[in-house]
Amino acid sequence: MPNAILDPTGRAPVPRETTGAPRAARRPDLTGARIGLLENTKHNADLLLDELGARLVAEHGAAEVVLRRTKRAFALPAPDELVAEFVDGCDVVITGVGDCGSCSASAVADGVVFEAAGLPAAVICSDAFVTTADAMAELRGAPGYAYATTAHPVAVLSREQVAERAEHLVAAVVALLTDAGA
Amino acid sequence: MSDLDPDAAQAAIEHCYEQGWSDGLPVVPVSQPLLERFLATVDRAPDEVIGHLPQFDRSVTVELAAINAGMAGCRPEYFPVVLAAWDALVLERSTGGGGWQSTSGPAPLIVVNGPVAAELGINGAGGVFGPGFRANMTIGRAIGLIVRNAYGIRPHVLEQATQGLPGRWTMCIAENEAESPWEPLSVEAGVEPGVSAVSATLLRTSEFVDNRHTSSAEQLLADFADTISRTGAWIFRNASAGVVFCPEHAQMLAAAGFGRAEVRAWLAEHCGRMVSDLAAVGKDGLGEKGVRHADGTRPDGFDPLLASAEPKNLLLAVAGARNAGISMVVRIFSDWSGRAVPVRARERAEVGT
Repeated sequence: MPNAILDPTGRAPVPRETTGAPRAARRPDLTGARIGLLENTKHNADLLLDELGARLVAEHGAAEVVLRRTKRAFALPAPDELVAEFVDGCDVVITGVGDCGSCSASAVADGVVFEAAGLPAAVICSDAFVTTADAMAELRGAPGYAYATTAHPVAVLSREQVAERAEHLVAAVVALLTDAGA
Repeated sequence: MSDLDPDAAQAAIEHCYEQGWSDGLPVVPVSQPLLERFLATVDRAPDEVIGHLPQFDRSVTVELAAINAGMAGCRPEYFPVVLAAWDALVLERSTGGGGWQSTSGPAPLIVVNGPVAAELGINGAGGVFGPGFRANMTIGRAIGLIVRNAYGIRPHVLEQATQGLPGRWTMCIAENEAESPWEPLSVEAGVEPGVSAVSATLLRTSEFVDNRHTSSAEQLLADFADTISRTGAWIFRNASAGVVFCPEHAQMLAAAGFGRAEVRAWLAEHCGRMVSDLAAVGKDGLGEKGVRHADGTRPDGFDPLLASAEPKNLLLAVAGARNAGISMVVRIFSDWSGRAVPVRARERAEVGT
């Protein structure tokens, strides 16, 4: 009997998660909702999230943007304290922009964590990174995790162009954060 | 009739391809006896965790590193150098974050110092960037297979390199200590002279400087400064770089009184561009996040490229043949840890064969 060929991955075969990760309960609409924004330092991410937050307040009855934080290590999962701060202080959170090799996957990972903690999340990724974002969702036990995409590239857009992106994204964000997206 | 069975070898290699374990080239299928020969070269527990990425909750152990080193084509006695190279890369800020997933597709540069280089046949002379030398090619490749297999970071999925770069997993070089006029890189990086050690960082690419034209050290350094200061590679407020000097260039600089520190000081002062040059390519603006952007409002002046003359911003090594004035500027992905890692091999007499 020949020797076995050794596996270099170190992965025990795990049964594929079929039920999906927990998803926070949705409200029917955003009336009175406290908005949280978690931006990841990618160029224009702060502008885009600010524009979206402002539109949710102006057009969809959200109360206000109550929390706006910057994620310093964009490639890594958001620290527990940061997640707790959003869960404690907000009704919904928008995060992104997944616009690089690691931060796109990481933004989706954060979305999955927010959902598990009971906070509806809208993750925004550039459409150039959907493969890696989807792969991370699967790794996190949330295959098919829904997020919003905007056309690549984002970093080179002017302030006005970012505002246009927000205008196009806002419906998708509302759908992700409310029953309308269920 | 030979005892060697090419048909069995081919089938085993194809099996590895089918599992998705290969970087595209054939790998050596590793069996338990081969793994044990690798593990016997080091005094480290097989289950010692030597790397962890929280975003995937994936870890590298000594045993997984050994399996991947074997697959890469390393001989067992290379394994202490593979581990030192890995440990040196773990010291790099970028490898603990998203570096391996990055659109820039960065490549390890591994520099080996000390007696281990000659013992293992790690080339530091002609054709140092390869190919042609088993130790150089396979030690670098081992790192790539560890990233691919143990971390699960594969191209097009969790690895998002826009183009990657040539020689991404094969830049393992020995420093040419015999023909270098300076102390070994590992000594500058904190390891005792005579102790084998590995220094490593991540590169975005490399570019040659061919100067067989001047006997002036300052003119030679100015040629390096021009290449180092290209705008294309410059994306943040400052950038880091490195030079792998050929012996001829290094010796010429040393003869003019330049040690490593003096070379770095000279380049730190002279590498950079005028704000107007940077404005012409849309990189003059200095935002609070440190990423350059198109601005157009800054008064002209000189923006230095290097943040300081510290080794972390400018790695200097000596390698190659002494047959021409051809050196390599390397583009460091973030910055260098500035620390070398000693090669910790188990005493040779104890190593089984």
